[in-house]
Amino acid sequence: MAGFSEGRLLRGLDGLLADVAAGRNLARHGAGLVLRMAACAALYGAVFGGWHGPRLAGYVALKLPLVLLLTSALTLLFSWLAARFLGVPLRFGQVAVLTFLGLAVASLLLASLSPVAWLFIHCAPAPSPAARTAHNLLYLMHTLFLGSCGLAGTAVLWRGLRRVEAPRRALRTVWVLWVLTYAVVGGEVAWVLRPFVGSVYVPVIFLRRDALNGNVYEFVVTDILPHLVDTVLH
Amino acid sequence: MEPSLRPDVQTPPPLLLEPVTEPRGVFGPLNDLLAQPLAVVDRARQGMNFAPLRLLAGGLACCALYGAAAGFFQGGTQILLAALKVPLIVALSLLLCAPSLYVFAALNGVRWSWRSYLAVMAGFAGTLGLLLAGLLPIAWLFSLSSRYLLAVTWIHILLWVLALLVGWRFLRRALASIGAQGGMFLWLLLFCIVSFQVATFLRPVLWHPRGAPVFRLGEKMSFLEHLGEAADVLVPSSR
Repeated sequence: MAGFSEGRLLRGLDGLLADVAAGRNLARHGAGLVLRMAACAALYGAVFGGWHGPRLAGYVALKLPLVLLLTSALTLLFSWLAARFLGVPLRFGQVAVLTFLGLAVASLLLASLSPVAWLFIHCAPAPSPAARTAHNLLYLMHTLFLGSCGLAGTAVLWRGLRRVEAPRRALRTVWVLWVLTYAVVGGEVAWVLRPFVGSVYVPVIFLRRDALNGNVYEFVVTDILPHLVDTVLH
Repeated sequence: MEPSLRPDVQTPPPLLLEPVTEPRGVFGPLNDLLAQPLAVVDRARQGMNFAPLRLLAGGLACCALYGAAAGFFQGGTQILLAALKVPLIVALSLLLCAPSLYVFAALNGVRWSWRSYLAVMAGFAGTLGLLLAGLLPIAWLFSLSSRYLLAVTWIHILLWVLALLVGWRFLRRALASIGAQGGMFLWLLLFCIVSFQVATFLRPVLWHPRGAPVFRLGEKMSFLEHLGEAADVLVPSSR
Protein backbone atom coordinates (compact mmCIF):
# COMPACT_ATOMS: atom_id res chain seq x y z
CA MET A 1 0.00 0.00 0.00
CA ALA A 2 2.75 2.38 1.02
CA GLY A 3 4.74 1.46 -2.06
CA PHE A 4 1.70 2.02 -4.27
CA SER A 5 1.12 5.47 -2.77
CA GLU A 6 4.76 6.40 -3.11
CA GLY A 7 4.76 5.21 -6.70
CA ARG A 8 1.69 7.32 -7.48
CA LEU A 9 3.23 10.34 -5.84
CA LEU A 10 6.47 9.96 -7.80
CA ARG A 11 4.61 9.36 -11.09
CA GLY A 12 2.59 12.53 -10.40
CA LEU A 13 5.80 14.43 -9.76
CA ASP A 14 7.39 12.99 -12.89
CA GLY A 15 4.39 14.03 -14.98
CA LEU A 16 4.49 17.52 -13.52
CA LEU A 17 8.22 17.85 -14.13
CA ALA A 18 7.78 16.63 -17.71
CA ASP A 19 5.10 19.30 -18.21
CA VAL A 20 7.34 21.98 -16.73
CA ALA A 21 10.27 20.95 -18.94
CA ALA A 22 8.00 21.10 -21.99
CA GLY A 23 6.35 24.34 -20.85
CA ARG A 24 2.89 22.72 -20.80
CA ASN A 25 -0.05 23.68 -18.49
CA LEU A 26 2.13 26.05 -16.49
CA ALA A 27 -0.72 28.25 -15.25
CA ARG A 28 -2.73 25.23 -14.07
CA HIS A 29 0.27 23.62 -12.34
CA GLY A 30 1.30 26.95 -10.81
CA ALA A 31 -2.15 27.65 -9.40
CA GLY A 32 -2.48 24.11 -8.03
CA LEU A 33 0.93 24.25 -6.36
CA VAL A 34 0.28 27.67 -4.81
CA LEU A 35 -3.03 26.43 -3.38
CA ARG A 36 -1.43 23.30 -1.92
CA MET A 37 1.52 25.26 -0.59
CA ALA A 38 -0.78 27.82 1.06
CA ALA A 39 -3.01 25.15 2.60
CA CYS A 40 -0.11 23.10 3.99
CA ALA A 41 1.78 26.16 5.25
CA ALA A 42 -1.41 27.48 6.86
CA LEU A 43 -1.87 24.16 8.67
CA TYR A 44 1.67 24.21 10.06
CA GLY A 45 1.31 27.94 10.74
CA ALA A 46 -1.74 27.31 12.91
CA VAL A 47 0.35 24.93 15.02
CA PHE A 48 3.42 27.22 14.87
CA GLY A 49 1.54 30.12 16.48
CA GLY A 50 -0.50 27.85 18.75
CA TRP A 51 1.68 28.28 21.86
CA HIS A 52 0.16 31.72 22.46
CA GLY A 53 -3.44 30.59 21.86
CA PRO A 54 -5.90 30.70 18.97
CA ARG A 55 -5.35 34.37 18.03
CA LEU A 56 -1.65 34.02 17.18
CA ALA A 57 -2.41 30.58 15.66
CA GLY A 58 -4.82 32.30 13.25
CA TYR A 59 -2.34 35.07 12.50
CA VAL A 60 0.52 32.65 11.76
CA ALA A 61 -1.78 30.44 9.65
CA LEU A 62 -2.12 33.53 7.46
CA LYS A 63 1.44 34.79 7.76
CA LEU A 64 3.42 31.63 7.00
CA PRO A 65 1.91 31.20 3.49
CA LEU A 66 2.37 34.96 3.08
CA VAL A 67 6.10 34.67 3.84
CA LEU A 68 6.48 32.04 1.10
CA LEU A 69 4.40 33.97 -1.43
CA LEU A 70 5.99 37.36 -0.75
CA THR A 71 9.49 35.90 -0.94
CA SER A 72 8.60 34.26 -4.25
CA ALA A 73 7.21 37.57 -5.54
CA LEU A 74 10.40 39.40 -4.57
CA THR A 75 12.84 36.86 -5.98
CA LEU A 76 11.14 35.43 -9.09
CA LEU A 77 12.21 38.17 -11.49
CA PHE A 78 15.87 37.87 -10.50
CA SER A 79 15.70 34.05 -10.53
CA TRP A 80 14.38 34.11 -14.08
CA LEU A 81 16.89 36.72 -15.32
CA ALA A 82 19.81 34.94 -13.63
CA ALA A 83 18.79 31.63 -15.22
CA ARG A 84 18.59 33.21 -18.69
CA PHE A 85 21.92 34.97 -18.37
CA LEU A 86 23.62 31.86 -16.99
CA GLY A 87 22.52 29.83 -19.99
CA VAL A 88 19.47 28.01 -18.62
CA PRO A 89 16.75 28.93 -21.12
CA LEU A 90 13.66 28.80 -18.87
CA ARG A 91 10.50 30.84 -19.36
CA PHE A 92 9.23 32.97 -16.49
CA GLY A 93 6.30 30.56 -15.97
CA GLN A 94 8.66 27.57 -15.74
CA VAL A 95 10.78 29.33 -13.09
CA ALA A 96 7.62 30.18 -11.15
CA VAL A 97 6.27 26.61 -11.25
CA LEU A 98 9.65 25.14 -10.24
CA THR A 99 9.86 27.58 -7.32
CA PHE A 100 6.30 26.79 -6.21
CA LEU A 101 7.02 23.07 -6.55
CA GLY A 102 9.95 23.30 -4.12
CA LEU A 103 7.85 25.35 -1.71
CA ALA A 104 4.84 23.04 -2.02
CA VAL A 105 7.00 20.01 -1.18
CA ALA A 106 8.54 21.84 1.78
CA SER A 107 5.06 22.89 2.97
CA LEU A 108 3.70 19.36 2.60
CA LEU A 109 6.57 18.05 4.75
CA LEU A 110 5.92 20.79 7.30
CA ALA A 111 2.23 19.90 7.40
CA SER A 112 3.19 16.28 8.03
CA LEU A 113 5.27 17.44 11.01
CA SER A 114 2.38 19.44 12.49
CA PRO A 115 1.35 16.70 14.97
CA VAL A 116 4.94 16.46 16.26
CA ALA A 117 5.18 20.24 16.63
CA TRP A 118 1.77 20.27 18.33
CA LEU A 119 2.92 17.68 20.89
CA PHE A 120 5.94 19.78 21.93
CA ILE A 121 3.85 22.96 22.09
CA HIS A 122 1.16 21.18 24.10
CA CYS A 123 3.76 19.94 26.59
CA ALA A 124 5.45 23.36 26.96
CA PRO A 125 4.57 25.63 29.93
CA ALA A 126 2.23 28.54 29.14
CA PRO A 127 3.91 31.71 27.77
CA SER A 128 5.22 33.93 30.57
CA PRO A 129 8.52 35.69 31.33
CA ALA A 130 9.48 32.58 33.31
CA ALA A 131 9.07 30.38 30.23
CA ARG A 132 12.02 31.77 28.28
CA THR A 133 13.68 28.37 27.98
CA ALA A 134 10.49 26.83 26.55
CA HIS A 135 10.23 29.75 24.11
CA ASN A 136 13.82 29.27 22.96
CA LEU A 137 13.41 25.49 22.61
CA LEU A 138 10.23 25.92 20.56
CA TYR A 139 12.01 28.49 18.42
CA LEU A 140 14.85 26.04 17.80
CA MET A 141 12.43 23.24 16.95
CA HIS A 142 10.53 25.35 14.40
CA THR A 143 13.79 26.60 12.88
CA LEU A 144 14.99 23.01 12.55
CA PHE A 145 11.72 21.87 10.97
CA LEU A 146 11.55 24.82 8.58
CA GLY A 147 15.22 24.49 7.62
CA SER A 148 15.15 20.75 6.99
CA CYS A 149 11.83 20.88 5.06
CA GLY A 150 13.21 23.77 3.02
CA LEU A 151 16.27 21.67 2.18
CA ALA A 152 14.04 18.79 1.07
CA GLY A 153 12.12 21.26 -1.12
CA THR A 154 15.36 22.39 -2.76
CA ALA A 155 16.20 18.75 -3.53
CA VAL A 156 12.95 18.45 -5.51
CA LEU A 157 13.73 21.76 -7.18
CA TRP A 158 17.09 20.31 -8.27
CA ARG A 159 15.30 17.25 -9.63
CA GLY A 160 13.13 19.55 -11.73
CA LEU A 161 16.05 21.65 -12.92
CA ARG A 162 17.96 18.55 -14.04
CA ARG A 163 15.26 17.96 -16.66
CA VAL A 164 16.10 21.23 -18.38
CA GLU A 165 18.37 20.92 -21.39
CA ALA A 166 21.39 22.97 -20.30
CA PRO A 167 24.96 22.26 -19.17
CA ARG A 168 25.04 20.60 -15.74
CA ARG A 169 27.42 23.26 -14.40
CA ALA A 170 25.07 26.09 -15.38
CA LEU A 171 22.12 24.25 -13.81
CA ARG A 172 24.02 23.78 -10.57
CA THR A 173 25.02 27.45 -10.45
CA VAL A 174 21.40 28.52 -11.07
CA TRP A 175 20.13 26.15 -8.38
CA VAL A 176 22.62 27.42 -5.78
CA LEU A 177 21.84 31.02 -6.70
CA TRP A 178 18.06 30.48 -6.45
CA VAL A 179 18.33 28.75 -3.09
CA LEU A 180 20.69 31.38 -1.62
CA THR A 181 18.58 34.29 -2.90
CA TYR A 182 15.41 32.71 -1.55
CA ALA A 183 17.01 31.98 1.82
CA VAL A 184 18.43 35.51 2.25
CA VAL A 185 15.24 37.30 1.16
CA GLY A 186 12.99 34.80 2.96
CA GLY A 187 14.85 35.45 6.21
CA GLU A 188 14.14 39.16 5.90
CA VAL A 189 10.48 38.71 4.89
CA ALA A 190 9.92 36.42 7.87
CA TRP A 191 11.63 38.99 10.12
CA VAL A 192 9.33 41.77 8.83
CA LEU A 193 6.23 39.60 9.39
CA ARG A 194 7.21 38.50 12.93
CA PRO A 195 6.02 37.37 15.53
CA PHE A 196 5.53 33.65 14.84
CA VAL A 197 6.28 31.87 18.11
CA GLY A 198 5.30 34.99 20.06
CA SER A 199 7.23 36.90 22.70
CA VAL A 200 7.06 36.04 26.38
CA TYR A 201 7.16 39.76 27.25
CA VAL A 202 4.73 41.52 24.89
CA PRO A 203 1.08 40.79 24.01
CA VAL A 204 0.06 39.05 20.78
CA ILE A 205 -0.07 41.27 17.70
CA PHE A 206 -0.33 40.63 13.96
CA LEU A 207 2.68 42.75 12.99
CA ARG A 208 5.13 44.63 15.19
CA ARG A 209 5.08 48.41 15.06
CA ASP A 210 8.82 48.37 14.31
CA ALA A 211 8.47 45.71 11.59
CA LEU A 212 10.38 47.84 9.09
CA ASN A 213 12.82 49.38 11.55
CA GLY A 214 15.97 47.31 11.05
CA ASN A 215 16.63 44.18 9.02
CA VAL A 216 17.31 40.68 10.30
CA TYR A 217 21.01 40.71 9.39
CA GLU A 218 21.53 43.97 11.27
CA PHE A 219 19.91 42.27 14.26
CA VAL A 220 22.24 39.28 13.95
CA VAL A 221 25.35 41.50 13.72
CA THR A 222 24.42 44.12 16.33
CA ASP A 223 22.54 41.97 18.83
CA ILE A 224 23.03 38.20 18.56
CA LEU A 225 26.75 38.06 17.67
CA PRO A 226 27.93 40.52 20.38
CA HIS A 227 25.81 38.61 22.92
CA LEU A 228 27.35 35.30 21.83
CA VAL A 229 30.88 36.72 21.91
CA ASP A 230 30.21 38.21 25.35
CA THR A 231 28.91 34.87 26.60
CA VAL A 232 31.93 32.99 25.26
CA LEU A 233 34.50 35.48 26.60
CA HIS A 234 33.00 35.85 30.08
CA MET B 1 21.63 58.27 -33.61
CA GLU B 2 22.43 54.68 -34.58
CA PRO B 3 25.81 53.89 -36.13
CA SER B 4 26.09 53.32 -39.87
CA LEU B 5 25.18 49.88 -41.16
CA ARG B 6 28.51 49.34 -42.91
CA PRO B 7 29.59 45.76 -42.15
CA ASP B 8 33.01 44.69 -40.97
CA VAL B 9 35.49 44.21 -43.78
CA GLN B 10 35.43 40.43 -43.38
CA THR B 11 31.95 39.39 -42.31
CA PRO B 12 32.39 36.29 -40.16
CA PRO B 13 29.89 33.43 -40.00
CA PRO B 14 27.01 33.98 -37.55
CA LEU B 15 27.45 32.92 -33.91
CA LEU B 16 23.88 31.72 -33.53
CA LEU B 17 22.09 28.92 -35.27
CA GLU B 18 18.76 30.77 -35.30
CA PRO B 19 18.37 33.59 -37.85
CA VAL B 20 19.13 36.95 -36.27
CA THR B 21 16.59 39.70 -36.95
CA GLU B 22 16.85 43.37 -36.09
CA PRO B 23 15.36 44.39 -32.71
CA ARG B 24 12.00 46.17 -32.84
CA GLY B 25 10.40 48.65 -30.44
CA VAL B 26 11.80 50.44 -27.41
CA PHE B 27 12.30 47.25 -25.41
CA GLY B 28 13.33 45.13 -28.42
CA PRO B 29 17.09 45.23 -27.74
CA LEU B 30 16.64 44.35 -24.04
CA ASN B 31 14.18 41.62 -24.92
CA ASP B 32 16.66 40.22 -27.43
CA LEU B 33 19.37 40.24 -24.81
CA LEU B 34 17.24 37.81 -22.80
CA ALA B 35 16.26 35.59 -25.70
CA GLN B 36 19.61 35.55 -27.56
CA PRO B 37 22.29 37.27 -25.48
CA LEU B 38 24.93 37.13 -28.21
CA ALA B 39 22.64 38.33 -31.00
CA VAL B 40 23.80 41.91 -30.45
CA VAL B 41 27.41 40.93 -31.22
CA ASP B 42 26.29 38.81 -34.15
CA ARG B 43 24.28 41.68 -35.62
CA ALA B 44 27.22 44.02 -35.26
CA ARG B 45 29.50 41.55 -37.04
CA GLN B 46 27.01 41.01 -39.86
CA GLY B 47 26.51 44.71 -40.49
CA MET B 48 22.92 44.76 -39.24
CA ASN B 49 21.36 47.42 -37.02
CA PHE B 50 22.33 46.33 -33.48
CA ALA B 51 20.76 49.36 -31.72
CA PRO B 52 23.59 50.07 -29.23
CA LEU B 53 22.13 53.37 -28.08
CA ARG B 54 18.71 51.89 -27.36
CA LEU B 55 20.39 49.02 -25.51
CA LEU B 56 22.55 51.40 -23.48
CA ALA B 57 19.59 53.69 -22.74
CA GLY B 58 17.44 50.71 -21.72
CA GLY B 59 20.18 49.40 -19.43
CA LEU B 60 20.66 52.79 -17.80
CA ALA B 61 16.89 53.22 -17.38
CA CYS B 62 16.86 49.91 -15.49
CA CYS B 63 19.74 51.22 -13.33
CA ALA B 64 17.67 54.34 -12.61
CA LEU B 65 14.78 52.17 -11.40
CA TYR B 66 17.16 50.25 -9.13
CA GLY B 67 18.50 53.58 -7.87
CA ALA B 68 14.98 54.71 -7.02
CA ALA B 69 14.46 51.51 -5.01
CA ALA B 70 17.77 52.13 -3.20
CA GLY B 71 16.66 55.69 -2.43
CA PHE B 72 13.83 54.33 -0.27
CA PHE B 73 16.41 53.92 2.52
CA GLN B 74 16.09 57.64 3.21
CA GLY B 75 12.96 58.30 1.17
CA GLY B 76 11.76 61.70 -0.08
CA THR B 77 13.97 63.47 -2.59
CA GLN B 78 16.71 60.87 -2.11
CA ILE B 79 14.61 58.49 -4.24
CA LEU B 80 15.02 60.87 -7.17
CA LEU B 81 18.66 61.61 -6.41
CA ALA B 82 19.59 57.94 -6.20
CA ALA B 83 17.61 57.27 -9.40
CA LEU B 84 19.81 59.87 -11.07
CA LYS B 85 23.10 58.81 -9.50
CA VAL B 86 23.00 55.03 -9.99
CA PRO B 87 22.87 55.19 -13.83
CA LEU B 88 25.56 57.89 -13.62
CA ILE B 89 27.77 55.55 -11.57
CA VAL B 90 27.33 52.71 -14.07
CA ALA B 91 27.78 54.95 -17.13
CA LEU B 92 30.87 56.70 -15.75
CA SER B 93 32.44 53.38 -14.65
CA LEU B 94 31.87 51.95 -18.14
CA LEU B 95 33.33 55.07 -19.72
CA LEU B 96 36.42 54.99 -17.51
CA CYS B 97 36.99 51.27 -18.09
CA ALA B 98 36.22 51.34 -21.82
CA PRO B 99 39.85 51.90 -22.93
CA SER B 100 41.15 49.13 -20.67
CA LEU B 101 38.52 46.72 -22.02
CA TYR B 102 39.71 47.50 -25.53
CA VAL B 103 43.40 47.01 -24.72
CA PHE B 104 43.05 44.03 -22.34
CA ALA B 105 40.82 42.20 -24.81
CA ALA B 106 43.05 43.04 -27.78
CA LEU B 107 46.05 41.64 -25.88
CA ASN B 108 43.96 38.51 -25.20
CA GLY B 109 43.38 37.93 -28.90
CA VAL B 110 40.16 39.86 -29.63
CA ARG B 111 39.89 41.21 -33.16
CA TRP B 112 37.98 44.40 -32.46
CA SER B 113 36.00 46.51 -34.89
CA TRP B 114 34.21 49.63 -33.66
CA ARG B 115 30.89 47.88 -34.20
CA SER B 116 31.81 44.81 -32.17
CA TYR B 117 33.33 47.03 -29.44
CA LEU B 118 30.12 49.08 -29.19
CA ALA B 119 28.04 45.90 -29.23
CA VAL B 120 30.00 44.34 -26.35
CA MET B 121 29.87 47.54 -24.26
CA ALA B 122 26.16 48.15 -24.90
CA GLY B 123 25.34 44.46 -24.35
CA PHE B 124 27.21 44.44 -21.03
CA ALA B 125 25.44 47.63 -19.91
CA GLY B 126 22.08 46.16 -20.92
CA THR B 127 22.81 42.90 -19.10
CA LEU B 128 23.80 44.72 -15.90
CA GLY B 129 20.71 46.95 -16.17
CA LEU B 130 18.39 43.97 -16.57
CA LEU B 131 19.98 42.13 -13.65
CA LEU B 132 19.67 45.21 -11.42
CA ALA B 133 16.02 45.48 -12.46
CA GLY B 134 15.60 41.85 -11.40
CA LEU B 135 17.20 42.62 -8.04
CA LEU B 136 15.07 45.75 -7.60
CA PRO B 137 12.34 44.18 -5.39
CA ILE B 138 15.01 42.76 -3.07
CA ALA B 139 16.88 46.09 -2.93
CA TRP B 140 13.60 47.87 -2.18
CA LEU B 141 12.74 45.53 0.71
CA PHE B 142 16.15 45.92 2.37
CA SER B 143 16.26 49.68 1.70
CA LEU B 144 12.90 50.14 3.34
CA SER B 145 13.62 47.99 6.39
CA SER B 146 17.31 48.64 7.17
CA ARG B 147 18.34 50.94 10.00
CA TYR B 148 22.10 51.24 9.48
CA LEU B 149 23.69 52.91 6.47
CA LEU B 150 26.58 50.44 6.66
CA ALA B 151 24.20 47.45 6.49
CA VAL B 152 22.29 48.75 3.49
CA THR B 153 25.58 49.74 1.79
CA TRP B 154 26.85 46.16 2.17
CA ILE B 155 23.58 44.79 0.82
CA HIS B 156 23.93 46.96 -2.30
CA ILE B 157 27.60 45.93 -2.65
CA LEU B 158 26.59 42.25 -2.50
CA LEU B 159 23.75 42.73 -5.00
CA TRP B 160 26.06 44.65 -7.35
CA VAL B 161 28.77 41.96 -7.15
CA LEU B 162 26.08 39.33 -7.79
CA ALA B 163 24.90 41.23 -10.89
CA LEU B 164 28.51 41.52 -12.09
CA LEU B 165 29.17 37.80 -11.60
CA VAL B 166 26.02 36.79 -13.49
CA GLY B 167 26.68 39.45 -16.16
CA TRP B 168 30.23 38.13 -16.50
CA ARG B 169 28.90 35.20 -18.53
CA PHE B 170 27.68 37.56 -21.25
CA LEU B 171 30.98 39.42 -21.35
CA ARG B 172 33.06 36.22 -21.37
CA ARG B 173 31.04 34.62 -24.17
CA ALA B 174 30.82 37.82 -26.20
CA LEU B 175 34.59 38.33 -26.00
CA ALA B 176 35.27 34.66 -26.72
CA SER B 177 33.09 34.91 -29.85
CA ILE B 178 35.40 37.59 -31.23
CA GLY B 179 38.62 35.80 -30.36
CA ALA B 180 39.39 36.32 -26.63
CA GLN B 181 41.57 33.56 -25.19
CA GLY B 182 40.38 34.13 -21.59
CA GLY B 183 41.96 36.10 -18.77
CA MET B 184 39.38 38.90 -18.92
CA PHE B 185 38.12 38.35 -15.36
CA LEU B 186 40.81 40.80 -14.29
CA TRP B 187 38.98 43.51 -16.22
CA LEU B 188 35.73 42.68 -14.40
CA LEU B 189 37.58 43.06 -11.10
CA LEU B 190 38.93 46.41 -12.25
CA PHE B 191 35.43 47.51 -13.34
CA CYS B 192 34.05 46.50 -9.94
CA ILE B 193 36.67 48.51 -8.02
CA VAL B 194 36.25 51.50 -10.35
CA SER B 195 32.47 51.43 -9.81
CA PHE B 196 33.04 51.57 -6.01
CA GLN B 197 35.29 54.61 -6.43
CA VAL B 198 32.84 56.29 -8.83
CA ALA B 199 30.07 55.76 -6.28
CA THR B 200 32.31 57.46 -3.71
CA PHE B 201 33.07 60.29 -6.16
CA LEU B 202 29.34 60.87 -6.76
CA ARG B 203 28.38 60.51 -3.06
CA PRO B 204 26.06 60.81 -1.21
CA VAL B 205 23.97 58.15 -2.95
CA LEU B 206 21.93 56.48 -0.21
CA TRP B 207 21.95 58.93 2.69
CA HIS B 208 21.94 62.70 2.29
CA PRO B 209 22.14 64.68 5.56
CA ARG B 210 19.84 67.70 5.71
CA GLY B 211 21.54 70.79 4.26
CA ALA B 212 24.49 68.86 2.83
CA PRO B 213 25.43 69.37 -0.84
CA VAL B 214 23.96 66.99 -3.43
CA PHE B 215 27.47 66.21 -4.72
CA ARG B 216 30.78 66.35 -2.82
CA LEU B 217 33.00 66.30 -5.89
CA GLY B 218 35.64 68.57 -4.33
CA GLU B 219 36.24 66.40 -1.24
CA LYS B 220 38.74 63.64 -1.91
CA MET B 221 38.12 60.21 -0.41
CA SER B 222 38.82 56.57 -1.31
CA PHE B 223 35.98 54.08 -1.39
CA LEU B 224 37.44 52.27 1.64
CA GLU B 225 37.32 55.48 3.68
CA HIS B 226 33.80 56.05 2.38
CA LEU B 227 32.78 52.63 3.65
CA GLY B 228 34.31 53.51 7.03
CA GLU B 229 32.37 56.77 7.06
CA ALA B 230 29.13 54.86 6.43
CA ALA B 231 29.79 52.85 9.60
CA ASP B 232 29.44 55.99 11.69
CA VAL B 233 25.95 56.88 10.44
CA LEU B 234 22.96 55.57 12.39
CA VAL B 235 19.78 56.55 10.62
CA PRO B 236 17.26 58.12 12.99
CA SER B 237 14.06 56.11 13.34
CA SER B 238 12.04 59.16 12.27
CA ARG B 239 13.48 59.08 8.74
